[in-house]
Amino acid sequence: MAERRGPLQAQDKLAFLLSLVPFLMDHERIGVGEVAAHFSVPEEEVRDAVRLIAVSGVPGETGQYQHGDLFDLAWDDFEDNDQIVLTHMVAIDDSPRFSGREAAALIAGLQYLSALPEHADRAAIASLMAKLSRGASAPPSQVAVEDSETDATLAIIRESVAAGVQLEFDYLDSRGEHELRRVDPLRIESLDADWYLRAWCHLREAVRTFRLDRISNPQTTSEPISYHADEVKLSEKLFEGSADDRMVTIDVAPAALPLLADYIPEEASSAERDGRLRTTIRVSHYHGLKRLVAGLPGLVTVVEPSEARRMVADWAAAGAARYDA
Amino acid sequence: MAQSSSPRVPVEERLFSLVLALLATETGLSKNEILSTVQGYRQRYSASGDNANLERQFERDKDDIRELGVPLETLDAPGQAGNNQNLRYRIPRGAYELPSDISFSAEETALLGLAAMVWREGSLSAESRRAIVKLRSLGGGTGEPVLGYVPSLRVRDAAFEPARSALEKHQIVRFSYLKPGEADARVRTVAPLALVQHQGRWHLHALEPDTGVTKTFLLRRIVSQVTTTGKTFVPDETDQTSAALAELEQVWNSHTAEVEVTPDSDAASRLRKRRGTRTTASGTLLLHYSDANIVADELTGYGPEVLVLSPPELRLAVSARLRLVAEEHATPTEGDDHG
Repeated sequence: MAERRGPLQAQDKLAFLLSLVPFLMDHERIGVGEVAAHFSVPEEEVRDAVRLIAVSGVPGETGQYQHGDLFDLAWDDFEDNDQIVLTHMVAIDDSPRFSGREAAALIAGLQYLSALPEHADRAAIASLMAKLSRGASAPPSQVAVEDSETDATLAIIRESVAAGVQLEFDYLDSRGEHELRRVDPLRIESLDADWYLRAWCHLREAVRTFRLDRISNPQTTSEPISYHADEVKLSEKLFEGSADDRMVTIDVAPAALPLLADYIPEEASSAERDGRLRTTIRVSHYHGLKRLVAGLPGLVTVVEPSEARRMVADWAAAGAARYDA
Repeated sequence: MAQSSSPRVPVEERLFSLVLALLATETGLSKNEILSTVQGYRQRYSASGDNANLERQFERDKDDIRELGVPLETLDAPGQAGNNQNLRYRIPRGAYELPSDISFSAEETALLGLAAMVWREGSLSAESRRAIVKLRSLGGGTGEPVLGYVPSLRVRDAAFEPARSALEKHQIVRFSYLKPGEADARVRTVAPLALVQHQGRWHLHALEPDTGVTKTFLLRRIVSQVTTTGKTFVPDETDQTSAALAELEQVWNSHTAEVEVTPDSDAASRLRKRRGTRTTASGTLLLHYSDANIVADELTGYGPEVLVLSPPELRLAVSARLRLVAEEHATPTEGDDHG
């Protein structure tokens, strides 16, 4: 097991070294801090890499790594001023190609994002994908995500952010209640097929998360926003637990467990009985729960509390009754 | 034991030195030349003794380097084709370097940064992270996006990683597949051609070598581990994903359900926004779907907000599911406890 961890880290470091050399060649003199910011790595990682590059090279004709066969660095500038000046280069001239898998990961990522207004120019995206394929050392692996149409709601949200004005829309929450919301959009997030808007809600006077497919009639207003994305700290987690959340005990078929992962609190325990796992999920209210459980028929059963159990039963029975008529 | 006294060279230094040495050579280096001269190997090389460990190390290093997209090639020594000991290794510059006419604008770099972020959890995260490092190698700043995005795509199917690895290595695999409507899973042996996501679900497009027929498997229905058979196949280099997606799209288009939704309900709002949904003159919705069992589960979640009008088998499937959920949640009655 420990074996596997080693090469993985070393591979990442190698990719960094092979990428850093051509970057440094293009910058006669550059500060460690600037390089670290550009590659989003800690400064010490840059210093380690530069130290390694400076003593590396090719065996050369003698097979002895003679002076001219090695990279060289203006050491004083580096040690005293944190500046990188490569004074001698060997072997590497240009940036490395992408691997077939790397190109495929980016192409599939672009495909997944095709609903974004930034992707409206399909010809530009297609040429970007073609460049990735051409810039790979092997054909991109055969992994793809279906394209989607540009999302009209996303386009309007983007407009309101660009103009710095509040956004207004009709929102249907999972309790089934409609409300006119006015918000300052902060960020768009997605989890698989579901897209969300995180925004400062002027009605609730707090940050709220809205499902895009529950938003109707979005419109930009002429009212300037009160909160800019930079001023509001958003938590990393899309769904934050709240003190009002309810804990529900369920029995779940092991195969369906990954589908509920977002609802299972970290501290939840689970025990197996009769091929089912008994565990706990956290929900903000039972209206959401009844939809969730009914959407996994035969795979999930609510054990308690009995009120939650009854709400699921009533929901499903009311649905079934429509077919008796 | 002599090896332990020599200074330890970090793995990345050995790999970096190997890439540099193989990039610098036109004619290639023999394995012996590599092991005896390249930094990280030479310290452990024995001129007289057995270098079997070191040779195995070199084999693993070659794999690790190739995995990064470095095109390490082997050449037969002139006049000695087939002699394994005399193979020569090199990295041809043209195949290694990003073509000089490829550059990315600030907007493109920003989009690619988002595309990489999509995979930040789990599958393909290492690949997308490394792709971004290589992209930054080109310099080029990223334009600040107008609107902040945090996209993420998670693959929840256990079959994805082994299927992807087999796809990569052109290995024939075996797994048990449970077809809806069948009581027992059946073992399938297939050559993986493509992995595609359609309507939020991952599918394996594969060729059955026994029949020569290509089939598409929903990963969610693979009920066993995906195991390799030890056999490989010669892949077709053409794009398989478009064909796989087109086939899934055609299946999706060919199935239409008509449903009645309660006005202003969650079902009305969300189903209307589902791709391809049409509203009829009478206000009912026409929905496309790929798989009756999956859409039946989805529609069951809407409870009384949805009434399936057609097709009859979907109507039956949804009503049966609703009854099942209602029965499973019928509160344990006093009857149960008190006889």
